[in-house]
Amino acid sequence: MKTRLSLLAGVISLALLAAACGGGSEEPTETTSQAGAAEGVVTLQGGKEFKSILLPKFTGVAVFDQANQGAQEAARELGVDAAQFLGPTADNSVAGQIEIVTNAATQGVNAVMISNNAGDQIEPAVKSAVDAGVKVVSWDSPIPSGEGESLFVAQVDFDETGTVMADMALEILGADGGRFAILSASPDAANQNAWIAAMKEALKDPKYSKLELVDTVYGNDESEKSYNEALALVDKHADLKLIMAPTTVGIAAAAKAMQDEKLCDKVKVSGLGLPDEMKAYTQNGCAPQFALWSFTDLGYLTFYAAYGVATDQIKAEEGAKFKAGRMGDYTVEKDPTRDNGLRILMGPFTKYDKDNVG
Amino acid sequence: MRDRVLRWRTELLLAAILLGVVAVNVSLSPFYLRTGNFVNMFQLSIEKAIVAVIMTLVIINGEIDLSVASVMGFSAAVVAALHEGGSVPFAVAVVVALLAGAGAGLLHGLFVARMGLPSLVVTIAGLIGFRGAARVLVGDRSIGDFPEWFDRLGQDPLVGRFSLAFIIFVVGIVAAGVVLQRTAFGRSVYVIGNNAEVARYSGISVARVKLALLTTSGFVAGLAGVLFAARLGSVRGNLAEGFELDIITMVLLGGVSIFGGSGTLVGVALSILIILNLRSGLGLANIQATTQTGIIGALLIASVLVPNLVDRLGSWRRRSGPAVMPPPASSDTGAGEVRPVVTDPNRTAHRG
Repeated sequence: MKTRLSLLAGVISLALLAAACGGGSEEPTETTSQAGAAEGVVTLQGGKEFKSILLPKFTGVAVFDQANQGAQEAARELGVDAAQFLGPTADNSVAGQIEIVTNAATQGVNAVMISNNAGDQIEPAVKSAVDAGVKVVSWDSPIPSGEGESLFVAQVDFDETGTVMADMALEILGADGGRFAILSASPDAANQNAWIAAMKEALKDPKYSKLELVDTVYGNDESEKSYNEALALVDKHADLKLIMAPTTVGIAAAAKAMQDEKLCDKVKVSGLGLPDEMKAYTQNGCAPQFALWSFTDLGYLTFYAAYGVATDQIKAEEGAKFKAGRMGDYTVEKDPTRDNGLRILMGPFTKYDKDNVG
Repeated sequence: MRDRVLRWRTELLLAAILLGVVAVNVSLSPFYLRTGNFVNMFQLSIEKAIVAVIMTLVIINGEIDLSVASVMGFSAAVVAALHEGGSVPFAVAVVVALLAGAGAGLLHGLFVARMGLPSLVVTIAGLIGFRGAARVLVGDRSIGDFPEWFDRLGQDPLVGRFSLAFIIFVVGIVAAGVVLQRTAFGRSVYVIGNNAEVARYSGISVARVKLALLTTSGFVAGLAGVLFAARLGSVRGNLAEGFELDIITMVLLGGVSIFGGSGTLVGVALSILIILNLRSGLGLANIQATTQTGIIGALLIASVLVPNLVDRLGSWRRRSGPAVMPPPASSDTGAGEVRPVVTDPNRTAHRG
């Protein structure tokens, strides 16, 4: 990597000061190995004052810990303080998230990165945080109205998620189709609701005509409740063939429930899951396939975006482009799934089955 | 003076703890002393504080109401369900929900006062039953989109910087304090809590007092549930789940004896301040919610154990040394509160 000190007097619009790999170095460097940085892409200048909070839906879930690891990696690269990883308990998620955002406003942090589990109920707290000068960036699960958030870092396109789930259901159930049910997280989780809506939309396509969605239940992302809800589904719907759980906690709990009750031949499980947690169930056929994206990358990208927005290096408006370290260039775009939200789309999905589950 | 200090011992101890918490918070976080933070501090737990006031009276009376959090959820669910049904004006839905809370309390009160069942058992049944009712009413969804005025009432200040819920709390605790310390009803609450038999022989209508307290407890829980719904802007079946223990913690930490008969609202007000300040400080110090719960639990255990240990040590020393018992306090030392005649000398040891 060739670096040379320069002040780039000509380039006014962009200060290309990527922290050198290994982080911490505040020497202005210009990377020339990049195959010609695209026009108008901001390379973030590291090392600025940045106090932030990474707020998951709740603590104690593996994927959120992974997101935190990604965010910490980004912080090291940018040479700034790591985000405080603070979340409520699962049983007090809504009030807990409101409390943390409210305290963040009092503390006057630069940014809060929230995976919103409180629906529109988070809005008043977010508004007061924004009034206090806090930038709010959502990730994983957005603020439905877009009110108060600068932008949303979307893991995948929500409409596409619906199609992916419909496709997996079709592949598992085959041409004959059959009845299936959805086991979601909590009824206020904007991402879950959007995915379920997108899946219902996708199911209108004639090719899915044999698939019949009979029920949607909520396990609140608590293992025990999800487990019981999965069994209750089987009791309630005699000819149920598949449980689709678009949540890592729900899918693992449902798969375990089917395995414990020796129902795997009758009722399959699919949805969004963590390979580490799902490996056994995929290999024994309880959960033949599922999908996910990298939460580490999601946390990494979110930290870059929040840092950029809070330090005024990225404008939260359509068309703004920036470089997110090792993940490359991203563009802020209108969020097609929400009326007045902006998003950065990460992508892509990985589909897992017994060949690649590890 | 000596026995004035002794009789307010618990409250003095709590005031000292509160000062300690405040001092630590000031040193921990530069944001703690902002006015906005004090407003937020109350706003984030105000529903629990409101219910803690009536819970204080119930526990002094020698009973307990474990159903409060479920009744909060139930009343909020009634508002949500009626709103979704769309057949009645929203204000009517609120009134119905408040009546539903009072009705729940009345039901518990009848079982306890008229049939003589222990309130612990009756209100555990209520805890389960009304939580179930709330879940049935709301189902697995989240019902929101309430009228703008309702959300504003729950989320915005009403007078100056103070929300409606905060005003209700202040009015409630002052009113309850006056009732408890200045009225015959208040006196009978203490007397019954000390010894229901004695109360009965001295002509107090024990059943009526218990019925009144438990009905009020249901009504206040219903009110708190509606306020919580307004603050959140939506209702789920699990609204306020688990709050009963936080509420009872506020009361017990305030030096109210779980056996009834002693305790003051001054102590409970102090303990509410301690818990709110502690939570606020821990929150501003970025301490995880799970850890916060543990710290508050440890504080509760310590606050119950330490005074008892001091008492034990004291009585052990008295037995082995010269008597240093203070003269028994007469019941009107001008401290502005009534201490009922204590029939069991060991009971006083439970204060704090």
